[in-house]
Amino acid sequence: MSPLWSAQMIAFFLISLFILACAVMMLSFRKVVYMALAVGGVFIGCAALYILLGAEFVGIAQVVVYAGAITILILFAIMLTNHEATEPEEPWTVRKALAAVGCFLLGVTLLFVIRGQAWPQGDPSVDVNQGMSNTLAIGEALFKSYMIPFELVSLLLTVALVGAVILAQQRKGDQ
Amino acid sequence: MWQWQTQPLTWSTFLAMLIGTVVILLLALGVVTYGILAERKVLGWMQGRIGPNRVGPFGLLQTVADVLKLFIKEDVVPAAADRPLFLLAPVLAFVPAFMALAVIPFSMQHIFTAGIGTGLLYYLALSALTIHGVMLGGWASNNKYSLIGGMRSAAQMLSYEVPLGLSLVGVALLAGSLNLNDVVRAQQHLGLWFIIPQFLGFCVFIVAATAELNRTPFDLPEAESELVAGYHTEYSGFRWAFFMLTEYVYLFAMAGLTATLFLGGWSGPWLPGWLWFALKAAAFFFFQFWLRNTMPRIRADQLMTLCWKVLLPLGLVNLVLTAVLKAVLLKG
Repeated sequence: MSPLWSAQMIAFFLISLFILACAVMMLSFRKVVYMALAVGGVFIGCAALYILLGAEFVGIAQVVVYAGAITILILFAIMLTNHEATEPEEPWTVRKALAAVGCFLLGVTLLFVIRGQAWPQGDPSVDVNQGMSNTLAIGEALFKSYMIPFELVSLLLTVALVGAVILAQQRKGDQ
Repeated sequence: MWQWQTQPLTWSTFLAMLIGTVVILLLALGVVTYGILAERKVLGWMQGRIGPNRVGPFGLLQTVADVLKLFIKEDVVPAAADRPLFLLAPVLAFVPAFMALAVIPFSMQHIFTAGIGTGLLYYLALSALTIHGVMLGGWASNNKYSLIGGMRSAAQMLSYEVPLGLSLVGVALLAGSLNLNDVVRAQQHLGLWFIIPQFLGFCVFIVAATAELNRTPFDLPEAESELVAGYHTEYSGFRWAFFMLTEYVYLFAMAGLTATLFLGGWSGPWLPGWLWFALKAAAFFFFQFWLRNTMPRIRADQLMTLCWKVLLPLGLVNLVLTAVLKAVLLKG
């Protein structure tokens, strides 16, 4: 079996196709609930890509946080606010057509730049996890090498959480 | 061919995986079919009734007949429902439920088990995905009871996932791994089921698991007396059957998880591993049936208080205790 058509390669193309299809559906749907579901599909596809690359912990964490919590949060917000939320159809204008051409050109430029770059190649014989399982390697890195940044980030998240609660409470008191 | 955990992916291992999936699907269907029958029999016995005894010998074909009836029923879609989502929701609910079975180590040989290093987290992630199906089913039905049931279910399952996860962290800490195979091996190595050193964690786990399964006393999302069955009010025929199947497959998966994490999985003397596993899972099933017959439903306003103010602190205390225990007693 040639390296181009290994199982990983086929899986990569299938997953990419799934992600792109979900992303396009997200943009073309008019109902907000459908959009939320399509975004969930994109998140799950990305998780599958991470797992394909050997980062199972990141992949599963992506499912827990994004596909699980965030998509459900979006769905909750939609259901609690407007039951029949739909976006109106927007007509094509000259400005939009120009924007589309611009986007296309930007995409082509990026593609050429990325293809023209000589990327550093990792040595496949070196195990970046040093023989540990994926989860263990991440834990070691987080709690040994990056201990202080990790704790600072948790502090930041706690502050953001408390701040969000306080902001929401103040608004309730005003009414 | 069958040792796909340690081999690179080839066509033969792929074929073995496919066969394994089909076998697990059949196993899950069998367990669900007879789990429902057992539930009705046990409920009947506890209430001084006989239970189903007409179809087949001892009523053994009762559930088969019920399922057959559900499959030949008309598939009714309400006129005001959101048709695509209404049709999709049961599938969205069932697929993660079945996928969660992939990490449960049924036997010592790890047949049909994906030995992924993040097994515990994988289970949590997939049970979070099922909430989408339940919630969208409730929303797409375009019925106020369904919507309330779907929202309640989502809120309950999402909230109780936090103490559930916390109680799992204690086990992971003791075992030193998130891989379910390693958790069983750690219990064998310790010579002690984790229910003993992790008793507080087990209590948190069992309450959170019952809530996660939407079973009595936490069956608020489908409270018959107030919500007319909640998120699946509008469903009938095989789509309704899919929601029920999801619930019972989760019951099976949760039984497997309990047996693996706290009761030593397939390890045990004399009997073969799969039989030990089946006995432990059956004990969990029986416990759930027993609970259903003895506990009244919890009040909706007490539900979140129990989760956030009782289970979460207990889970945190358990985590700290486990960490201290591990650092002091089990050094090295």
